[in-house]
Amino acid sequence: MKHFRKLTYPYILWSALMIAVPLILIALYAFTTSGNEVKTLNFTLDNFAKIIEPTYLNVFWKSVKMGVVTTVICLVVGYPLAYIIARCREEVQGLLILGVTIPTWINMLLRTYAWMNLLADHGIVNNILGKLGLGPLSLMYTDFSVILGMVCNFLPFMIIPIHTSLSKMDHSLIEAAYDLGANPVQTFQKIILKMSMPGVLNGCLMVFLMSISTFVIPKLLGGGQYVLIGNLIESQFISVGDWNFGSAISLLLAAVILIFMKVMKKIDTKEN
Amino acid sequence: MKRLRRFLSRFYMALCFIFFYLPILVTVIYSFNSSKSLTNFTGFSLRWYEDLLSNSEIMSAVYVSVTVALLSTVISTVLGTMTALGLSKSRKFLREYLLNVNNIPILNPDIVSAISLMLLFSSIGMPKGYWTMLLAHISFCTPFVITSVYPKVRSLDPNLANAAMDLGATPFQALTKVILPMIRPGVFAGALLAFTMSFDDFVISYFVSGNGVKNISIIVYNMTKRINPTINALSTIVIVVIVVILLCVNVIPVIRKKKKNTENSYSKHRKRTYIGAAAACLIIVCLVAGIWAAGKGGKKTLYVYNAGEYIDPDLLTQFEDEYDCTVIYDTFESNEMMYTKLSSGERYDVLVPSDYMIERLIREEYLQPIQWDRITNKDGLMSEVMDKSYDPGNVYSVPYFWGTVGILYDTTQVSSEDISQGWDVLMNPKYKGNLYMYDSERDSFMVALKALGYSMNTHNEEEIQKAYDWLIAQRDTMNPVYAGDDVIDNMISGNKALAIVYSGDASYIMSENENMDYYTPGQGTNLWYDAMVITKDCQETELAHQFIDFMLRDDVALANTEYVGYTSVVASAYEAMQETTYAGIGAYVPDIHGANNEIFVYQDTEIKQLFAELWTKVKAQ
Amino acid sequence: MNKLIELKNLTKNFEDQQVLRGINLDIYENEFLTLLGPSGCGKTTTLRIIAGFEEPSDGQVLFNGIEISKVPPYKREVNTVFQKYALFPHMNVFENIAFGLNIKKMDKNVIRQKVERMLKLVGLEGFGSRDVTLLSGGQQQRVAIARALVNEPKVLLLDEPLGALDAKMRKDMQRELKKIQQEVGITFIYVTHDQEEALSMSDTVVVMNDGEIQQIGSPTDIYNEPENRFVASFIGESNIIDGIMIKDYLVEFDGFQFECVDKGFEDNEAIEVVLRPEDLDIVEPDRAKITGTVRSVTFKGVHYEILVETSARTYMIHTTDFAPVGREVGLLFGPEDIHVMCRMGGY
Repeated sequence: MKHFRKLTYPYILWSALMIAVPLILIALYAFTTSGNEVKTLNFTLDNFAKIIEPTYLNVFWKSVKMGVVTTVICLVVGYPLAYIIARCREEVQGLLILGVTIPTWINMLLRTYAWMNLLADHGIVNNILGKLGLGPLSLMYTDFSVILGMVCNFLPFMIIPIHTSLSKMDHSLIEAAYDLGANPVQTFQKIILKMSMPGVLNGCLMVFLMSISTFVIPKLLGGGQYVLIGNLIESQFISVGDWNFGSAISLLLAAVILIFMKVMKKIDTKEN
Repeated sequence: MKRLRRFLSRFYMALCFIFFYLPILVTVIYSFNSSKSLTNFTGFSLRWYEDLLSNSEIMSAVYVSVTVALLSTVISTVLGTMTALGLSKSRKFLREYLLNVNNIPILNPDIVSAISLMLLFSSIGMPKGYWTMLLAHISFCTPFVITSVYPKVRSLDPNLANAAMDLGATPFQALTKVILPMIRPGVFAGALLAFTMSFDDFVISYFVSGNGVKNISIIVYNMTKRINPTINALSTIVIVVIVVILLCVNVIPVIRKKKKNTENSYSKHRKRTYIGAAAACLIIVCLVAGIWAAGKGGKKTLYVYNAGEYIDPDLLTQFEDEYDCTVIYDTFESNEMMYTKLSSGERYDVLVPSDYMIERLIREEYLQPIQWDRITNKDGLMSEVMDKSYDPGNVYSVPYFWGTVGILYDTTQVSSEDISQGWDVLMNPKYKGNLYMYDSERDSFMVALKALGYSMNTHNEEEIQKAYDWLIAQRDTMNPVYAGDDVIDNMISGNKALAIVYSGDASYIMSENENMDYYTPGQGTNLWYDAMVITKDCQETELAHQFIDFMLRDDVALANTEYVGYTSVVASAYEAMQETTYAGIGAYVPDIHGANNEIFVYQDTEIKQLFAELWTKVKAQ
Repeated sequence: MNKLIELKNLTKNFEDQQVLRGINLDIYENEFLTLLGPSGCGKTTTLRIIAGFEEPSDGQVLFNGIEISKVPPYKREVNTVFQKYALFPHMNVFENIAFGLNIKKMDKNVIRQKVERMLKLVGLEGFGSRDVTLLSGGQQQRVAIARALVNEPKVLLLDEPLGALDAKMRKDMQRELKKIQQEVGITFIYVTHDQEEALSMSDTVVVMNDGEIQQIGSPTDIYNEPENRFVASFIGESNIIDGIMIKDYLVEFDGFQFECVDKGFEDNEAIEVVLRPEDLDIVEPDRAKITGTVRSVTFKGVHYEILVETSARTYMIHTTDFAPVGREVGLLFGPEDIHVMCRMGGY
């Protein structure tokens, strides 16, 4: 059916125009001097030199830190849930997974906005705490609120891949492990965890990727002082207007993610 | 033991699901709240839904979201399916190349894809708006369609298409009669994914749309600054729609399976349902588009770009009715954002920037002179707001609101002694962690410079450095929150003791919370004027003047100042407000006599960048 | 018989690999022709060129004397039974068989009649509404044949159609296929790597290797008179021995001269000799020229497979006589058992 080959032609053109060229543009902007005119092609490394300033490095560092913390929390919270779901009857599993998925289909902004109301100093959570004689706690505009928002939004992306790899696992493997004298802890370590590793890696990758680059959640739940890479890029493009510096940061972000994925892939192949 | 474990796991699962659904539940519940409060449920009402339906800005956003989602779903599904089909037959090199390229938008952070597309559109000079949004959505949806269809195509017996052709089917018949029916689940999954991705998208839309075209997400983002239960109503509708679609998609196959067992000629029925569904979708699109077009049909359109929460939205509707036109109303977060958009080629007719930005726009020749003879209500303007340094003789600008920047404080927490320290109260350790700064480099540096006794228009780098140090020190010792417009709701709720606010916001907050008071420090502050200007490439000069004139009309100016809380530039409204809503609220009357008060002046690029960079550093440390 | 299909000097390249190197073949009406060869020999490619799924890189395909190599598959009067049947899983048995007729927009009643007739021919009466994915391998096979035959092609192409069946089923289907071919009276072109299948069903066997035809002939010719070492070793088991054709009817190998029935080689030409294991007899050492020691004996059901080591090589013998390991024996064969072939490089 070579006839079908031609069907790729529109997308080859499209991907060149809408994927490749825009990325080249980012690179072009990143390596040229500022001003929104890029056609003059005044090449420079200043934009990258700027990133090395401690302030901006700090932003990168903070973003990576938040990404790692969010990923770890998602893993710690999500793994047991995925495991519990995977142990349920099959029909129930389908329903529960649908239950986990539905929030991800609902606009992230809407859910984040809801958290703003929940966490406000006089918000619902503090109201309830107040009735219990606790608080009020300052929940908004803290690391806590930002991480909470990220975990709430990204947790399903951890649960689903782990559940997929757990549910694919042959139950007789666990029985075999017991049969061969492994206790439940050993069975979990040596069999279940090992078998679900691809899902864990996949989940970590997705959560980390999303949390390192988000700018909406820190902006809404963290306030103006919460500058992560995403916010830095956004401000360069939207308010500061230094597109070249913004492009340089974006390029670096893409590079960081590429490296991270390579590392993950390496771990993945090593595991198998 | 086993029982306990089971209970624990159930309990854990329940906790997780509460965590997932709590925000959604809260949103839905409070969308029916009769009051504006988001903490107390005062009674059931549908008023926010009514508000929603009567808000033309939201309705047009719904239209944009729905049509963009439908169109991009259809196009990306067709494009993606075609590509997936072709890929399986392509040469290895091409296949690897395409699959890799295809992965880029999936793995790339949204924001990087977004700016890459934004750069593309601005490089080829395509005006940002509906079409750029649609193209961008197709661009990020297609890879997901390909990744969900391609595995299905690959798992097909490669001989199926051959078999069909062998039996006399043309390649097209083979495609429609054999291949497509077999990969249908993948195509459906891809289309569903594309629809929800497009419908929910914020980041990419935010960067690539413009000229007043907004989808639901952008509207929500703009509205989050201030408590607005219509968001909850909108959210509830979106949630219901998405949940219904998802349930249908997940439940219908089960029902169909049952049906299949009893009925045998199902394939025909199925075909009919699909054709029916497709036709229904098309009809809906046409209808919506038709209504939309009928609503706008042939009318003149005015593009207005104003700061967020800076107008009574009813006035826009009123203007549209009176002048039989359509207003595309867009909002910015800061003057700088407005400037960036303007310089990247977006077209607006009327802008409402601040003094220094007007100065800049005049110098950079973005504006056209005001034809004052068309402004019939010009006599109502107060003399205090005219002929200022930013635009001597008001050649280019017509004042809109004016005021000062000052400290809003909770009288129950802050003594008058403390507040009389002026800006220095912001360094008073008593209020550590109990204050809001304003998330704007201009206002924050103004505060710091004034606290140090310098001019806020200084070009002296040493002074700027000292102001930077002041801000860093304040940041480290005082733990302030750098808030945007959300400070308004927070201060109304009395969340913190101190806040830097604009006088107009202060008036509004004080009218809602009587414990609050406003103070303009004697060290001097920013005396500011926002004014309406007409851009050089304005297409509807007459309508633009009519709009400006309309905003100066006594009744309109009164309604506007009453709604927004900012100080009117129209004498009658200014006076009326001091007797009614804002009687006794000092913030409404700008302190024009403070000897140290200044107006911002235009800064050249270098100094501007210095401020921008230093401010980023303050926030990022 | 009339010539139906002519392949003239067909070549086919995939990327840089040449998979067909000049195929010349005539196929006649009502013939059961088998393309036989190891995987990768080009037999399936040849079939796909006839079906129209591949275009030859060079050469001609004539159908009734008309060049068709550029004609798309859906316009050719041939139909194919695919390796894994390629039944349309979203259609039931009836819909699968009726597919081609529906494409031709035939009358519903005619279609019904034709499909019913086909179902009867392949022994699947009453299976019309079954889900094809739930049928057994043999049943799917029959549906695939019915689906192809219902279009009344001039030629039916079968691409290793029995490969997915178990041994017993394969035997039954071989007989059935032959029966069907005789009933419908059209040409079958059958691709297989299984020599037994080829020999038992075909009128003509075409042995292919490495993109070239090695030999064309009836099953008995191919078996008894392999033209080269490849054919000999691929068809059945053989002892292949280098030798010299002293002159017509006299051949020398392993240091002895033997009478044979072959002629037409040059005198003293280096040749190869094929001795089929079942043509060799084990006798007392003094009765035979070639002698050796029994090295192993394996019982194969009908016969024993005995390996006899002589001074020159190890011979394989299939015989019903038993000889214990270690016994000195002689190997006896007649002139008609010696098959002389040209010596080829490489094999």
